[in-house]
Amino acid sequence: MTLEVRDLSIRFGGVAAVTNMSLDVNAREIVGLIGPNGAGKTTFINCIAGVAQPDTGAASWNGRAILGLSPADLLRLGVARTFQSVVSLHDLTVLDLVKLGAAAHARRGRGFLSQFFGSDKAVDEEICESLLAPLNLVDVANSPIQTLSYGQRKSVDLARALACEPQLLYLDEPVAGLTFQEGLNMGAVIRSVRDRFGCSVVMVEHKMDVVMSTCDRIVVMAHGARIFEGTPAETQKDAEVRRVYLGDA
Amino acid sequence: MTKRSFLVALALAIGFAVVGFESGRFWAYLVYSVAIASIGALSLNILIGYCGQITFAQGALIGVGAYGAGIAGNAGWGAASLLVGAVCSALVSLLIGLPALRLRGLYFAISTLAAQFILNYLFKILQPLTNGVSGLVVKPLMLFGRPANDEQYAVICVGLLFLSWLVLTRIIQTNVGRAFLVVRESELVARGMGVDVARAKIQAFLLSGFFAGLCGGLIAFTSRLANPEAFEIGLSVDQTAMIIVGGLGSLGGSIIGAGFVTLLPEAIERLGELLPSADLISAFREMAFGILIILFLLLEPRGIVALARRIFARRGAAARTNLPDRASYGSGAISAQNGRKA
Ligand SMILES: Nc1ncnc2c1ncn2[C@@H]1O[C@H](COP(=O)(O)OP(=O)(O)O)[C@@H](O)[C@H]1O
Ligand SMILES: [Mg+2]
Repeated sequence: MTLEVRDLSIRFGGVAAVTNMSLDVNAREIVGLIGPNGAGKTTFINCIAGVAQPDTGAASWNGRAILGLSPADLLRLGVARTFQSVVSLHDLTVLDLVKLGAAAHARRGRGFLSQFFGSDKAVDEEICESLLAPLNLVDVANSPIQTLSYGQRKSVDLARALACEPQLLYLDEPVAGLTFQEGLNMGAVIRSVRDRFGCSVVMVEHKMDVVMSTCDRIVVMAHGARIFEGTPAETQKDAEVRRVYLGDA
Repeated sequence: MTKRSFLVALALAIGFAVVGFESGRFWAYLVYSVAIASIGALSLNILIGYCGQITFAQGALIGVGAYGAGIAGNAGWGAASLLVGAVCSALVSLLIGLPALRLRGLYFAISTLAAQFILNYLFKILQPLTNGVSGLVVKPLMLFGRPANDEQYAVICVGLLFLSWLVLTRIIQTNVGRAFLVVRESELVARGMGVDVARAKIQAFLLSGFFAGLCGGLIAFTSRLANPEAFEIGLSVDQTAMIIVGGLGSLGGSIIGAGFVTLLPEAIERLGELLPSADLISAFREMAFGILIILFLLLEPRGIVALARRIFARRGAAARTNLPDRASYGSGAISAQNGRKA
């Protein structure tokens, strides 16, 4: 159950967005990926999430090469992601989106005819209990996503990703845009998700307090490359990290 | 679909069928005209309102169904010709939709405009099949050994409209329909969520085409004629007006919009008979749809349905389904960061 990324590089025209980036993630580990804006974090996630095609490098999940696979392929292998900005998916309700998420998972997807003729009641109840309750979304289960607060939408996106029972979860700035309290809650939720599902997590985040309290290990990126790696405590102490990232003189 | 909305729809369908059957030929004509237009509007709303694929070829697509059903009907296929027409349109719709796998938004819309004109041209020149500009005379459907009359058509059309609504409502509530909505908002997000975008679009085109064809077949049988003039771009515009006025992304709204757009000319005509300046009124009739479309797009792009909901909400009837704000309709506000070099 490990993710191994080796020497991954991608350029956009003249911009080297990611350069020779390597990353290992162990089973049940939460790795924080931090770095200033434009460091290449989202681009890196996109490369290993089947959205962007890196120029060079290799990546494997449980020994299987994953570069070049589509997001749908990756979901089938148990790799899911959330989005940095949530779309205001109009008329879909929370349950709609989570059910659609579950469909990406081979075992959880229901056949068309059973959906067409059958009732969703049992499925809805199961989703409410196992996914929405831990994320405080039961009250809004039938509300259109459009009507939810930004923080709730982030939770919905997480619930959608969790619905396909991922073993590896990429979270792109799960806390950005949330209030301080919502952010702390989200950090706690991420840890409990890891404990319940036993999945590995790669999380890109800016808010240092949340990163420090949530992650087991931290990787710092700047200008498309890794500049530091260590425990939260070591990261906070490192002078170079403080200089480029934490804004010390 | 809740039990309540099902029962309400059933009651309405029975009510209109009775009105169409019992109130004489003119009412029968009004009822089946609205029902047929509604089936077309449902079909178009699936494609534009739900899946976000803007098309201008709806008129010609309905025409394909009309010719398909008419030719099959004349060859003695009876009621099954409606199915023939629907399948023909579904296949042509798929063909029209193929560019949507590469093109997006306006570019695709323009390719459908081309399809509309090409198809209409084909209706005119495929003389042996379509009988050219003068049109194909369609034998009436036989019912109980006699040609169906207007009252019977009213009942048949309302029944088929109810069935179409039921089927589409159910499909919208499966993952197939949910995928349409995500594709409409953002193809990038849809892909990232594991939705097969190409498959969703193909399904939307097939589904929408099928019901457009059913609409066309019913036009052919009720008017006993399939002629190129009936399926020009004007029909596409009427159908688009129906879903914009009724409500994009609302099946019930499609039917309300179809009623509105079909009955408005009748009402204006009545008005014209009462007033002295008949010429002016009939000229206004031509403009009315254009003005309507623009007004709704500006003021309430989600149509009468949204308008009604808002009024009810203001009256305090606890807005259970909160309305999305119109500014963000279809804006697909995803961060451009999510996968540029896709
Ligand atoms: N599709 C693209 N085209 C051009 N430049 C891009 C593209 N995607 C990302 N970049 C550039 O790559 C760099 C890294 O961006 P990004 O991965 O979004 O950073 P982060 O998520 O760490 O803030 C930035 O300089 C950004 O402008
Ligand atoms: Mg980013």
